[in-house]
Amino acid sequence: MSIIEKIRKNVFDGDENNTVELVKKALDEGKTAKEILDEGLVAGLRDCGSGFEKGEKFIPEMLLSSESMKVAMVVLRPLLLEGSGIGGTGRAVLATVEGDVHDIGLELVGTMLETAGFEVRNMGPDVATEDIVEAVKEDKPHIVGLSALLSNTMDVMPDVIEALADAGLRDSVKVMVGGAPVKQDFADEIGADGWAYDAASAVPKAKELRAQLSD
Amino acid sequence: MIYDMYGNTQEVTPYERMMGSLNGEKTDRVPVNYYPRWAALEYAGVTFKQAWDNPDLYVKAQIQAQERFQYDCIIDYDMMGPVEEAMGAKLKYPENDVPQIAEPLIKTKDDMEKVKWKLDPRKDGNMPKVLYVIRRLKEELLKRGRGTQHVPIMTWGSCPSRTAACLTGFKEWFLIVARDPDWAVELMERALDGWLQMVVAAWEAGVDCVWVNDPVSSRDCISRDHYEKLTQPYQRKFIEAIRRETGMKITFHPCGNWHDRMDLVYQNQADSYFLGPMDIEMCTQKAVETNEKGLSRVTSLNGNVGAATKSTTDGQTAVPYATTMKRGKPEDIEKESKAVIDVVEGADLRCILGTNCWDVKGSSFANRDAMVYAARKYGQYK
Repeated sequence: MSIIEKIRKNVFDGDENNTVELVKKALDEGKTAKEILDEGLVAGLRDCGSGFEKGEKFIPEMLLSSESMKVAMVVLRPLLLEGSGIGGTGRAVLATVEGDVHDIGLELVGTMLETAGFEVRNMGPDVATEDIVEAVKEDKPHIVGLSALLSNTMDVMPDVIEALADAGLRDSVKVMVGGAPVKQDFADEIGADGWAYDAASAVPKAKELRAQLSD
Repeated sequence: MIYDMYGNTQEVTPYERMMGSLNGEKTDRVPVNYYPRWAALEYAGVTFKQAWDNPDLYVKAQIQAQERFQYDCIIDYDMMGPVEEAMGAKLKYPENDVPQIAEPLIKTKDDMEKVKWKLDPRKDGNMPKVLYVIRRLKEELLKRGRGTQHVPIMTWGSCPSRTAACLTGFKEWFLIVARDPDWAVELMERALDGWLQMVVAAWEAGVDCVWVNDPVSSRDCISRDHYEKLTQPYQRKFIEAIRRETGMKITFHPCGNWHDRMDLVYQNQADSYFLGPMDIEMCTQKAVETNEKGLSRVTSLNGNVGAATKSTTDGQTAVPYATTMKRGKPEDIEKESKAVIDVVEGADLRCILGTNCWDVKGSSFANRDAMVYAARKYGQYK
């Protein structure tokens, strides 16, 4: 098994300490940060996401994989920044909507977007609509990602979209929605630009939407 | 089922209907219990915060909404919060939602000592406020019933796994489950008593049945193995302790998708199950099987209109689960109600109509009426 494959497996298994050690070793062996990130860390987290979909992995295991990735990113981040990896793809503001305190999925999306080169401002759970609008004014992101776990709180999402429109910001951003009860038909109904089933599929969708913006 | 909308509905009170079904008995028709928090507040035109700050307003809202919508069970404040707050957790109270944990109380094992594990519901935190509401609901029901309590009152009990997750924060809880199962067990062991004392005090104050819930052990959250070895034993311990102390009928709410573990869920020995977004046919079949094996004591299934059809459980449904109540039409509610009644009563379990999880905020009055209408239309016993 190559060192990159070992990194991938350790992320999948959620072994934080081993992952960091292997990342350092891979760098010593001359592997590039981008290679380690894409083929090791992201691939491992994606494997874990597939396991989650199949009912073989669950939130504790997903979190351990995510934690492994995060600690490894401490080592890789400066190198990726040197190569303009992070922030080069675009900017994203993420938030779980007001009244909803669930942010595990949001964190996973944030980690995945960062590793895909987005500069991410993760506002966390239970964020007031006006605060999201303020953050969009300040950061001028390309992507606004909204999350909700509860069927009661998913109905805050159209309020955010409306508030962005009222503030004259709607055309400058692409709004993505996600979370357990949120599906494509709901995204369409409320006028969101995109929906993703999970953290892994959020990345290509975010890239696709980012490409539709000129700036 | 006989189509006889108004037949004998005046002869049986909601109390007799609901408690009969929890006992596995047929009365006049299928009862409706959709956990009416938002129905009551929206009918009264008040926010949750207003009703929390004014318990008499909450009582009035519950009583008036039951009279308006004619469902078969009312609730006290019924929420996570009073016990966790009395233990030392900081809560925040949104304007129109139930309280939420503002900040996790337990971040390290040393923080376990900061928690007030032994509680007195008559004195600590906001627990006396909940007991006040129960006593007032009881008084009001007896007064309106000329000495007869015609509607039952349901209270809330958080499973130890939920309480532990509220104290540590949900993310940390799942990491503890993965990294340190012994600590998870210790947390649940110590967390059990607070809610048990609250439920006992609620029973002494006058509630008739209890709704025990767990949103952190579903297939959406942890593996079947973690459930079986870690959290299910504490669900069962909590349920058996409530039964031992109060003798009340216990409804368990498996919040979320529990498709791969319903056989284990039913073995936690609750009497009734308030189902979430799950296939009603599968849940009913599993209940019958575990009952036949002598592993469970399921009398009734409560739910799951808005989540009953198979198409809502595939992850790609056209109508997101739990939203039929809010986004569907009265005829959708009626159709799904009939489907639930047919499946559950067809298996000779008692059906109690309800929504997924709880009464969906913002549902139209017409949709709420439609469920009671469907119970009258399709749920008559011969």
